[in-house]
Amino acid sequence: MGLFTRTREEAPCTVEVSHRFEELSAHVRFDNGAVVWPGDEVQVLGQEIMAPYGEVVREERTAIITRASGLERLWTRMTGDFEFMELCEFSFSEEVLS
Amino acid sequence: MNVQNTTHSADATTVEDALAADNQNAVIDSESATKVAMSNTLLTPRFYTTDFDEMDAIDVTPVRRDWDELIAAMKADPNRGHFKKNEDWDHIDWDGMDPALKREFIDFLISSCTAEFSGCVLYKEMKRRGSNSDITTLFQLMARDEARHAGFINDALREAGIAVNLGFLTQKKKYTYFRPKFIYYATYLSEKIGYARYITIFRHLEAHPEHRFHPIFKWFREWCNDEFSHGEAFALLMKTDPKLTSGRNVWWIKFFLTAVYGTMYVRDHQRPEFHKALGVDPDWYAHSVFEKTSEISKQVFPITLDIDHPRWLPTLKRLQKANADLAEAEKKTGLARLAGKISGSARAALAFASLYTIPAKRHDVPVQTRLEPAY
Repeated sequence: MGLFTRTREEAPCTVEVSHRFEELSAHVRFDNGAVVWPGDEVQVLGQEIMAPYGEVVREERTAIITRASGLERLWTRMTGDFEFMELCEFSFSEEVLS
Repeated sequence: MNVQNTTHSADATTVEDALAADNQNAVIDSESATKVAMSNTLLTPRFYTTDFDEMDAIDVTPVRRDWDELIAAMKADPNRGHFKKNEDWDHIDWDGMDPALKREFIDFLISSCTAEFSGCVLYKEMKRRGSNSDITTLFQLMARDEARHAGFINDALREAGIAVNLGFLTQKKKYTYFRPKFIYYATYLSEKIGYARYITIFRHLEAHPEHRFHPIFKWFREWCNDEFSHGEAFALLMKTDPKLTSGRNVWWIKFFLTAVYGTMYVRDHQRPEFHKALGVDPDWYAHSVFEKTSEISKQVFPITLDIDHPRWLPTLKRLQKANADLAEAEKKTGLARLAGKISGSARAALAFASLYTIPAKRHDVPVQTRLEPAY
């Protein structure tokens, strides 16, 4: 990790989406034990993952982890805390109705 | 619309019935037809990392008895059977609903769903990254509840013709950072204020059932009891280390209290039709929720905000006005937009600083932390 440079790496991952009445959830797990740090970006490659209503879908995919530079990591550590409001039900959401 | 001979998952009383309902087949058989019928809303949860080693090092020994009792109660899962639809789930005439109310209500459901979903993602991540079994068990149980709530709200949204889109999974997402102690303050408060919000509406509608325009409100009591126990767990966590609630951290606690109360006030005032339909004055509602949250938070925080201070309400109103002006400025272009944004932001920051500097009320924190939902 450089102070100013970003690096990219690939990680195999398992995506699990539960789109059921009793559970709505979606999780990405890196199968090679890769760990995400503040400021890193993660993108799961491939088609959008759609679970039809009532189903759980599990897919093995590849994710690209873009590692934050040293400065970005520091910046995120210093400022990330202020996004905590997202956890409140009355938080500001930017829903996209199309 | 002819609905006589068909069933809809929204009317089902069990999960099995919901899955067997006709509309489910439609979803599976004809994805494209469903897309036409349903508008799409993209969930946009945030993704967090934290200092997992620090979190792993928590030792709950000082609160062991209370902790074990709470975890046992959560494991017993008394609410498991609650999130099912029964005969109390009345039919809703979505088409007949006033469009302004419908828009605000759906916005309410979507932000609730996103908050539950974000909580679930955060808790699950902690469960996965931790190795301290006390902590991972707690986060697993909380993730379970949040996913269940999200599923329940999702179903209400589907009934309104809104499909939740999980497309964020394949979009680039940035991981932000929360210091562990800020996770405790923020989640503790969001769970407890969530409890206070839901129970206040539930009790109000118990007294005024004519204002209950959607059946989901009938489920608020058990729902908020889950929020209450999550808050209890964070209260116990904070009790394990006295430093978390003393010294300089008290200023952080005050900051979180002010930010959470302020945001709630501003946000609720953006939904006038929703509150009108519930028969609730947003100022009364805010005060009632703050009172309950303050009373509960005395269990662990050594201060509460002085919500009866002469500066409190007028400053909240200024904060709200500044935010409304800011939103207006966003719609403009060029210099008017810039000027509006600078003025709105400056006034919002000033109002926040004014709220923050109202002297807080100090009190002694009880030795016994645990509380039961009492409202």
